[in-house]
Amino acid sequence: MAYDKPIPPQGQHTQPFWEGAKAGKLMLPRCTDCNRTHWYPRLICPFCHSAALEWVQASGEGRIHTYAVQHRAFGGWQQEVPYVTAFIDLAEGDRMLTVLRGVDATRPESIKIGALVRVEFEQANEDTHIPFWRVAEEQ
Amino acid sequence: MAANLSNAAAIVGAAESNVIGYPMELIGKRVTSLQHHIEAIKNVCDLTGIPVADIQGIFSAGWSGELAEHLGLRPRYLDTTMVGGCSFQIHVHHALAAIHAGIIDIALVSHGEAGWSYRGGGYGGGRGGAQVSPATEMTAAYGIFGAPSQYAHAMVRHFHRFGTTAEDFAHIAVVTRQWATLNPRAVMFDKKQSPFGGPITLQDVTEARLIAWPLTLYNCCLVTDHGGAVIVARPEIARSLRTNPVWISGAGESMGHQNMLEMEDFTATSASRSSATAYKMAGLGPADMEMAMIYDSFTITAGITAEMLGLAPRGKGYTLWKEGHAAPGGRLPINTNGGGLSFNHSGMYGMQLLVEAYRQLSGTAEDGVNGIAGKQTNARTCVVNGTGGTLSTTGTLVLTADS
Repeated sequence: MAYDKPIPPQGQHTQPFWEGAKAGKLMLPRCTDCNRTHWYPRLICPFCHSAALEWVQASGEGRIHTYAVQHRAFGGWQQEVPYVTAFIDLAEGDRMLTVLRGVDATRPESIKIGALVRVEFEQANEDTHIPFWRVAEEQ
Repeated sequence: MAANLSNAAAIVGAAESNVIGYPMELIGKRVTSLQHHIEAIKNVCDLTGIPVADIQGIFSAGWSGELAEHLGLRPRYLDTTMVGGCSFQIHVHHALAAIHAGIIDIALVSHGEAGWSYRGGGYGGGRGGAQVSPATEMTAAYGIFGAPSQYAHAMVRHFHRFGTTAEDFAHIAVVTRQWATLNPRAVMFDKKQSPFGGPITLQDVTEARLIAWPLTLYNCCLVTDHGGAVIVARPEIARSLRTNPVWISGAGESMGHQNMLEMEDFTATSASRSSATAYKMAGLGPADMEMAMIYDSFTITAGITAEMLGLAPRGKGYTLWKEGHAAPGGRLPINTNGGGLSFNHSGMYGMQLLVEAYRQLSGTAEDGVNGIAGKQTNARTCVVNGTGGTLSTTGTLVLTADS
């Protein structure tokens, strides 16, 4: 079935991210001066203001920082309510927004802040593979 | 005019972005407006030797919040006045005033406009056509629809960190509704005004339909129409008018982020900083406040903000409502108009806060100006806090009645 939810537009500063996503890799911008990773992508390091940035492949692991259950939605997402949105603390630092997979949206209390999550990609169209995060088993 | 601003500040450096003119022809690719901004800022900082981190005030034509976030700055002066091509002369004027006033020492005035690279609407359109911001790219896919879908995340984090519950926050909705039942102009004044109007119970709030768990309908502000205006004048004029002055004893502003992705602490806003500035200017503290007008886009907004303003300990903001202090007859009336939750919320509720604070402190509510009675308190001091965006930006005022 064709992907029926909003597909993010791609600007001119983020091509390595979208290219990586096509190959199933989560790419993050990192500052080669202070070595810190940031998200969302910047043209300048938001921590030390160096312009020397590079893209690196991330581990694809993170933890739930906080979440909510969406009951009111439009378009393709309307068919999915209730669904869980979450902010993920990336293992490399900083935070990413997602729709969380592998959770029961009808029992919000069962979702644990701090739980381990892993990234996966869903193909939305030829050029766009969208990262989503899924709750994983702790090792 | 009291102040002579002449020579109160100087322009200490000027620079441009790396490729201006026709980038496509020069370097074979387009340049975004954001890129023009960031390069010019980097270049002017390099030129002057002023670190980006030392910028205290940001002035731009509509970009100030996004630029601050992109640079990871927490400015204490934000001016994003957009009045066309002369905006930048006006920014310099405003920066001069801010520096003269001692609010900031270093101001950035920035311009970035991909008028050719992203020309839209034909020649001479300027401003640059639609460009995607990286923040939009990285959030557009994830089923976020409007403010409630975002603010809910802050409430869940508050539960997690402080052990609070949905019922704790429901008290804010119940008490705020009590105020609305005293205000005939409130949308939720009574059942005649709205089928949802009149008093509500805790159960009404917790069992209302879910918008974004844990936010139920009654945890969310209204959507209404509103118009409002205030006039600010110097003391000699203020004292000469037929209306009573309410003094601006303290003012402060700050921001934490523009996009919720960048919200450092989901249980805190920049109101801790903006109120610290305002209290200091006023020579007053939270304990001196006799009422508060707090932007209540959601119950969580009001609860957190009460903590940030120092009106309650961290994690305990909701207790002001739960214990009745914020209610009619309480020691610290909050949102005496009925709030964004039950009075009126047009999308940007900050003006409603100002109008109500003026009415309570000036005595005009008692006088029935506009034919409306509504003197709810005898308060002589009021802290007013507006919150913008997604718990992003805050402006705090400490207002005092005329003595």
